[in-house]
Amino acid sequence: MIALVRNEVMKILLKKKMPLIMILLLIFVGLLSYGQNYAYERNIDQFEAESGETAFDWQGLTTQRLDELEERSQNEAIPGEVRASFDREIEQLNYFIENDINPVTPTAAKFNVSFAEQGITLFIPLLIAILAADLVSSEFSRKTIKILLTRAVPRWKVLLSKYIALLIMTTLLVFIIGITTTLVSYLFFQEWGFSEPIVTGFTLFEGTLNSDSTILIPRYQYTLLIYSLVWFVSIIVASITLLISLIVDTSASAIGILMAALIGGQFLQFFLSDWELVKYFFVTNLDLTRYLTGSYQPVEGMSLNFSILILSVWAIGSIAISFIVFNRRDVLV
Amino acid sequence: MDTSVLKVSHLKKLIQKKLIIEDVSFDIQAGEIVGFLGPNGSGKTTTLRMIVGLSTPTSGDVEICGYSLKKEFVKAMSNVGCIIEGPDLYDYMSGYRNLELLASMSKDVTKKDIDEAVALVGMENRIHDKVAVYSMGMKQRIGLAQALIHKPRLLILDEPTNGLDPQGIHEFREIVKNLAREKNISVLISSHLISEVQLMCDRVSIINNGRIIRSASIDDALVTGEVVWTLDDPQKAQLLLKSTFKVEAAIAGHTLRATVDPERLSEINNTLIASGFDITYVEHKKRTLEDLFLSLTDKHTI
Ligand SMILES: Nc1ncnc2c1ncn2[C@@H]1O[C@H](COP(=O)(O)OP(=O)(O)O)[C@@H](O)[C@H]1O
Ligand SMILES: [Mg+2]
Repeated sequence: MIALVRNEVMKILLKKKMPLIMILLLIFVGLLSYGQNYAYERNIDQFEAESGETAFDWQGLTTQRLDELEERSQNEAIPGEVRASFDREIEQLNYFIENDINPVTPTAAKFNVSFAEQGITLFIPLLIAILAADLVSSEFSRKTIKILLTRAVPRWKVLLSKYIALLIMTTLLVFIIGITTTLVSYLFFQEWGFSEPIVTGFTLFEGTLNSDSTILIPRYQYTLLIYSLVWFVSIIVASITLLISLIVDTSASAIGILMAALIGGQFLQFFLSDWELVKYFFVTNLDLTRYLTGSYQPVEGMSLNFSILILSVWAIGSIAISFIVFNRRDVLV
Repeated sequence: MDTSVLKVSHLKKLIQKKLIIEDVSFDIQAGEIVGFLGPNGSGKTTTLRMIVGLSTPTSGDVEICGYSLKKEFVKAMSNVGCIIEGPDLYDYMSGYRNLELLASMSKDVTKKDIDEAVALVGMENRIHDKVAVYSMGMKQRIGLAQALIHKPRLLILDEPTNGLDPQGIHEFREIVKNLAREKNISVLISSHLISEVQLMCDRVSIINNGRIIRSASIDDALVTGEVVWTLDDPQKAQLLLKSTFKVEAAIAGHTLRATVDPERLSEINNTLIASGFDITYVEHKKRTLEDLFLSLTDKHTI
């Protein structure tokens, strides 16, 4: 089995999919971080021009906000939880003041998270699809499926080895996305920002996602949290793509169908968000990271746990159908 | 014990509700080279696909070295090497990588086995080049090496010489013949070329429109049952054959020809000699495989 998985990983690598993905990634990340840096500098220039100051006085603004928060938390009428969340923000702002960090500067740690948040519904699934779509279909189009299936190896093992190889490459790809976004954006921003505190409603608490109260965590933890969600979504998308590519025979149509589903799904969600069924479609549930930033509910009744459950069901279903289809299939190429 | 290396019984296959294979049965013994002869579209590839498990028969069984393909796929397939409408290679890898890849799919295939297979098909010099730059003949050799690295007892080749030049065909044929002779590998080789089957095979099964219409050794397939005597007095012999053996014989010059059961031939010859005829030749008339093939398949409608 290990040998089979090694073969499959080698095929993916030799097909030069990774360089293609890397190039796409570098282009996007480069453009985005350049753009963000440019927009930031322009904003500051504009601010300075309007206020007539020579330097952007972030300390002033931050202190102002601090005072406001402290004043409000003195108010006896404020409920306990809200006061707790004020305290978190105060703590956070104090960190910026004490460490002389401008809270609105773009940093690599912020960029890699916002890239993941933006990419999780379309761009990252596209990269995964490039990887997964021809895993099986290319064996059919090159007819090499015949040599794979006429060895003394049962069909399910052949497919399983491909699936495991796909999981390995998907995991690797998520790492690559994280590292590339961080390094490339650092080149532009010259700030890491991984130890800055961030207020979040979610924490990974003893392995489970805890959303009872807001807390303050360092950015690197938040990045890890976001990227575990990206990884989860990527695995789901990879599993679904595998099924599509098994059914349609060519990788181009597999990528096409997946893209149509992703874009069509967003339309559905946009136009028919009060239609109950929409929330059971996998595309509606892909945007896991948005749950972490406030009370996101694309369709009524959805939550992080709900989405994770729905996505898992889709992936497990896809894998099960893939194995059944692959086992029964007549190879007539 | 049944010593068949391959036993195919009553295969039937429907594809999209069309009956492609009606009833195909045959078997192959150790070390035999069997030709699977039939015109294009007669169902050779479809049958071979079912034998190697690429497609499932609608009904019927395949047994390889005593293992049922359906029930013991892995054990059955560990005895088979095949090229089905191939060769199929990953053209973005070298020939050697292709072999390594398949070697790792079988148990106990060592690097030495790979090197041996490469040497056997005479590809030592170009084995590390990318498959994309290989000629058809070289690809076919790699395909053969792929089918041989795990030392199978049965080799299944589907029209292996398609696309090869005469030189390549000749070399390929010699390699396959040697395999059967020296390693006792059984070979099932499909072809629409009569000469190829006649040159390589011990036995032939002829398929037409999804049915086996004749299975026999090459020699038997060619015997017509017609015997030709060259002797001094054909007219007198003709009468003798008619009166004693009730055989109608025809005269042509100094020869007499008749259709006789081979088992009665020595009795007839003894009688002729005892009656004082001077026999110079007795031969059985062979037809060409082509005649047989055409006579069996000329009814076909496409
Ligand atoms: N994938 C397929 N779908 C439908 N019919 C097929 C398919 N493959 C082969 N056939 C039909 O099956 C018959 C036998 O084909 P095949 O086994 O390839 O013949 P051969 O190999 O003897 O030339 C042909 O009539 C062909 O049209
Ligand atoms: Mg054919």
